[in-house]
Amino acid sequence: MRPVSVTVFCVVVGATAALAAEQQFNLPQGPGRELVYGNCQTCHDLQSVLDSAGIRRGAWNALLDNMKGYGLRISADQRAKILDYLGTYLGPNPPAAAAATGAAATGAADGAQVFADICAACHQAKGEGQPGDFPPLAGNPDLFLATDFPATVVLNGLTGAIDVAGDSLDQTMPAFDFLSDDEIAAVIKYVRASWGNDKLRPAGFADLTAGEVAARRAKAMTPEEVHAYRGSLEKK
Amino acid sequence: MRSQVTRPAINRRQFGKLAGAAGLALGVSPAWMRAALADTATPDSAEIIAGKVSGLIVHNAKLGVMETPLTLLRKYEHTPKEIMFNRFHFPHEGDAAWYATTKVPSADMVKNWTIRVDGLVERPRTLTIADLQARPQETRVSVLQCAGNGRSFYAAKEKVGGGQWKNGGMACVEWEGVPLKPLLDDLKMVPSADAHWLTAEGWDQPATPEGSDFAKSYHMADSALDNAILALKMNGEAIPATSGGPVRLIIPGYYGNMNVKMLTVLLFDAEQSNSAYQSVGYRMPNMPVEPGQFEANDYTIYNSVPTYGHKIKSVIFSPLPEDKAVAGAVTITGVAFNDGEAKITSVEVSADGGKSWQAADVKDAESPWAWYHWSAKGTLASGANVLMCRATDALGRTQPMDGLTRWNPRGYEWNGVDRVEITI
Repeated sequence: MRPVSVTVFCVVVGATAALAAEQQFNLPQGPGRELVYGNCQTCHDLQSVLDSAGIRRGAWNALLDNMKGYGLRISADQRAKILDYLGTYLGPNPPAAAAATGAAATGAADGAQVFADICAACHQAKGEGQPGDFPPLAGNPDLFLATDFPATVVLNGLTGAIDVAGDSLDQTMPAFDFLSDDEIAAVIKYVRASWGNDKLRPAGFADLTAGEVAARRAKAMTPEEVHAYRGSLEKK
Repeated sequence: MRSQVTRPAINRRQFGKLAGAAGLALGVSPAWMRAALADTATPDSAEIIAGKVSGLIVHNAKLGVMETPLTLLRKYEHTPKEIMFNRFHFPHEGDAAWYATTKVPSADMVKNWTIRVDGLVERPRTLTIADLQARPQETRVSVLQCAGNGRSFYAAKEKVGGGQWKNGGMACVEWEGVPLKPLLDDLKMVPSADAHWLTAEGWDQPATPEGSDFAKSYHMADSALDNAILALKMNGEAIPATSGGPVRLIIPGYYGNMNVKMLTVLLFDAEQSNSAYQSVGYRMPNMPVEPGQFEANDYTIYNSVPTYGHKIKSVIFSPLPEDKAVAGAVTITGVAFNDGEAKITSVEVSADGGKSWQAADVKDAESPWAWYHWSAKGTLASGANVLMCRATDALGRTQPMDGLTRWNPRGYEWNGVDRVEITI
């Protein structure tokens, strides 16, 4: 119960701090991982999950029940996937991590796989997005604003109001700089070629290379600067 | 207790979803589990809560959960706010960011603060900080200890989920404030004969509307309430926001969670609160339980009890492995404490892994709930030495030689004989 008169709003400061504090936890690769990232950080950061690594599946199951009491609301299907993930990859005998994609190591990044593992949680399986929350990638002209623009967003995040294909959004996308240069090049190539996006492609527009992603990575920007960069490109 | 305050415009669930996807995914090595945290640049304690020193052991940045390294804790008779362990239950973000500091709440906030005293009473009341300041104040020096302190040690039987606390989730602090029982009497609210429970709630709120609010309940006949105070000061100054200011319910000798921070509501009720933090969480089973046979969600108000008073405990403060002790004579020191119901009468110390024991000198504590300092002479040999200590009180209560006998799926109330390994 909060006395109304003393409530202080400082959303922006809080959100920025939270972003800084949340971009750190490396869960092992495996199906369902994205659901943990997507659902378990509303109330606590993922150190709670990592520090619990090694407990039995039954203990994870009970823990998910506890979390329901603490406010976790997920579908039965999501719950089953999360439990499978936690019980397997954060259980007492996790499979060797070599079973994970390993794309970064081999240099043969699979753009479709990266998209399904990382991007689809928000942008949805066919790039359709969620109105008001996550911009669509299907039919999104931002993809061709500049050769390096999508990579700039992936590497640094983006925050601020944008209009995309008739939808107005004002959300924050965090940086996905943990992806390798190969993975980022591959996933952007995949998105630019999927769901009819090739029709938006200006003549002679070249895909960017992993080397170009690396060069872009060397020039770090804040999510606000990326927003400004987008504005400057739109004006052109 | 749900507030009428509209949540901030940001949608936390979506924000978490967005922010969450960005991990630092470098380690795809077989040793990922060990490497994961090493790769992780966990924010420093001083960045998480303004005014805390650097280098506290962080268990959860988003919830401001951190413990004090014993090398720091042992330096002070009364634990300073800057090094004191911390535990919030909800993110200190957005409109809750104000309490993530060792500074005191603002003058405006203190001026407008109210405690609603309500429930099964004929005359509900509302108290202000000024009302409390106008009454006689008393001090209580008490150990404050997280119920999960020592949770990591249960892993020797089976690891328990949650923050892996070592021994640093405790502090010895001087509180000052208004004795609870005389205050309630003077308010002449005329509680119903059915009002067997008193429930306390604080200002903080869950991150989502679906989450259970934090509430703690005490039986009105619990004699520990006779010592309870509505504390306005900690270590001689107004209570820091992060430690529960401007007013915190302090029940000396009770585990940390029972001492509700940022107190806003006291409710007379026929039953204990159905908050998940009272009815399922922060409880100990009534019977010994085994991993796999009793899980973390199997707690009911019938098969378990809340984590009330500290189970008797002693902790070695010196030597610690960090001290790089040399072979030869050594003075072994530490503290001991319990729920304050009886004096601690002895601490036994072993320097050889429990083969032989000797009585330590135990100094009187400054209050029944403060920690007792003890010391004993011992000898360290070249190679591995295992130091142990065990406290006993005047009621004959003592620490289990094997703390794992009290294994429980939420990992509370660790009070096994403390062990420190010193290799020379």
